[in-house]
Amino acid sequence: MKRSSLYLFVSSLLVLSFMMASCAPAAAPTTEVNQVPAADATQPAVEATQPAAESETITVIFPKHEADLNGAFEARIREFENQSGIKVELIQSDWDSVANRILPEISTGGSAYDVVEFDNGWVAEWCGAGWATPLNDFMPAGYTDGMIPGLVDLFSCPDNKVYGVVWNNDTRFFYYNAEKLAAAGFTEAPKTWDEFAQMSLNAKEKGVVSYGMAPFWNQEWSLGNEFHFWTYAFGGEIVDAKGCFLFNKDPNTLVALQYMMDSLTDGVSNPAGMTYNQAASQDVFLKGDSLFMPQGIAGLMAYTKDASVSNVDGQIKVGLVPGVEAGKSAALTLPEAYAIPSNSEHKEAAWKFIEFMTSRETNKVLAQEIGVLPIWVDLYSDADLTAKYPFWADFQAQLSTARGLSKLTWYGDFVDISTAEVHKALAGEQTAQQALDNMAAGLSQFECKP
Amino acid sequence: MRMTQRHSLSIIDDPRILGLLLIAPAMLAILGVVLLPMFNSLWLSFQQHDLSRPQEDAFIWFRNYADLLRDPRYLNSLQATLKFSLFSVIIELALGVAIAMVLNQEFRGRGFVRGLMILPWAMPSIVNAAMWKWIYNADYGALNALLSQLHIISEYKIWLAEPTTAMVLIILANVWKETPFTVILTLAALQTIPDDLYEASRVDGATDWQSFIKITLPLIMPVLMVAGLLQFIWGFQTFELISIVTGGGPFSSTEMTNLRVYATTFRSLRFGYGAAMAYLTSLIIFIPAVAYIRSAYRKVVEI
Repeated sequence: MKRSSLYLFVSSLLVLSFMMASCAPAAAPTTEVNQVPAADATQPAVEATQPAAESETITVIFPKHEADLNGAFEARIREFENQSGIKVELIQSDWDSVANRILPEISTGGSAYDVVEFDNGWVAEWCGAGWATPLNDFMPAGYTDGMIPGLVDLFSCPDNKVYGVVWNNDTRFFYYNAEKLAAAGFTEAPKTWDEFAQMSLNAKEKGVVSYGMAPFWNQEWSLGNEFHFWTYAFGGEIVDAKGCFLFNKDPNTLVALQYMMDSLTDGVSNPAGMTYNQAASQDVFLKGDSLFMPQGIAGLMAYTKDASVSNVDGQIKVGLVPGVEAGKSAALTLPEAYAIPSNSEHKEAAWKFIEFMTSRETNKVLAQEIGVLPIWVDLYSDADLTAKYPFWADFQAQLSTARGLSKLTWYGDFVDISTAEVHKALAGEQTAQQALDNMAAGLSQFECKP
Repeated sequence: MRMTQRHSLSIIDDPRILGLLLIAPAMLAILGVVLLPMFNSLWLSFQQHDLSRPQEDAFIWFRNYADLLRDPRYLNSLQATLKFSLFSVIIELALGVAIAMVLNQEFRGRGFVRGLMILPWAMPSIVNAAMWKWIYNADYGALNALLSQLHIISEYKIWLAEPTTAMVLIILANVWKETPFTVILTLAALQTIPDDLYEASRVDGATDWQSFIKITLPLIMPVLMVAGLLQFIWGFQTFELISIVTGGGPFSSTEMTNLRVYATTFRSLRFGYGAAMAYLTSLIIFIPAVAYIRSAYRKVVEI
């Protein structure tokens, strides 16, 4: 009997402790959003990170920057800890893993993270659902003056408030292998897509490279980016401001998709690109097996110098993305920002983190150390940086043509359906027009919903 | 007072009540982490619950299920998953039994080979998937290099660009990883068969093949049934391999239901539709699985 009573006592205790644990109140937010006074606009942004009166811990999650091989971002974060007294629990991983953690957490009202990755493909969804905190409540007036305007606009919601500050100005640039192009008999980068195709075929014919480009057209998320890039590059449109479809009506979009398809059949594009992700495509370019990388990352030049992955050191140059006619160009920008989830319990500390990490000073240090593309306009003419990265002069011309992804609350559905239909067209299983019509049919429930 | 104490003590002493009280914590945990989420997602499956469009949330009864039965992407994924799971199971069982028969023989280094067999199964799924992705790479993949050096192919092939080839190759990658499970189970079952039975069959003049068909197979059948059923269910659960090696391509030909559920729920954030998809898929596995177990159990009892 004694043993039975003991068992009962222990199990009751266990149940009681579970119940008490589940009934425990959540930690109270340290500061209400609307109670935060706007900082003095005259103060330099980085000075906002004064040591906190008491130690506070924030949890920050964002992807590892592709050029950050030695922990440059983490070093800045530790510097922030030293200056502010705020502890940072840092979670860094690849983009997909980060997305897989953030989206379920934030969409179900979780408060596990205080600063999160805010991809530009998510802006409309997050605006619609109210998942992020408006940063205007924290930032000094005029804080974004001096940032590249397009980057600020991309992370603003229809209420004209800013919900994210860019930490990774991931604008894509047109790279070409100048040495191989010269071997094929050309001294300048192509200015039009016709020239692009012609140069590719000539280089192939002369045995300089196997293909003009090795695109990343595997049926996955990044094919949605590629569809945007090629559409923009041919002057096409995807949707209008109201979210009404243009992709199935705009002749330029049709031409863009047809060009992608023809590049495979004509031998301009490596057909293996149908199974490549971005890393595999870049790998082929760095090995010198393709002539062009139409949508390369800003840090690609650093990779060319790494002999373990590259055979093309000193051969690569930056050009403008070709257009339908000379002088017309467009590029895709895929910036990533920091945002504060609306359920964060440490919003003020989270803002201090964002302010520090996106300040001119930090931006310059990261640019110097790992070639992060600045978000501040004046850093592109900074003497230290231009001396280290002379090719940024070429970047500047492209930056003014950069456009982001479509801002749609149904962007996930758009990618899901468009990648399947575009991939089918690229495989020659349907015509370009059929692919665009099928996309329209598959997405019909979202037509004219921004 | 004394009466009350005696009464309460008698309740504790009742082994049935005590048993119930003791399993209460476990039951509470199961209720919290299994049953409640299950009912919650069932409830969710009757709703339009698109997280990025909360203004459109509504209870829509069976419309998600009706839409699914007309959704060509979902139906295509079901077909692909069935194909993948069935062929995987058939090959894994055939190979598993064959390898187990060999490993059941006496030979030098048998222990080492048995240990080696388990390696693919012990390998993390994500590592396995990344490995096969590189093996099948069109430009630098080991498969192309091997076949080219053996003069089986004259030029490198883009293995994952053609639907049938892509499906065959992911089945092979899955078979490579999952077959050791069948081998281990079959090997254990083979070791329980008494040698007397084989000796008796030899005395009766049976060939090795006849012994296999009449003795070995019936006696390992219960184990094979369990292995087959588990492999079939695991086939439906396969995610990392497909996600990494093909991403569901080319043009959705290897897109399994799990990928559809994931894309719908966590990329398109359509939780209601995603929940309905998950439930319908589970139902589709559950019904034949139960029917199979019942009929197979009857056969085993007869044997």
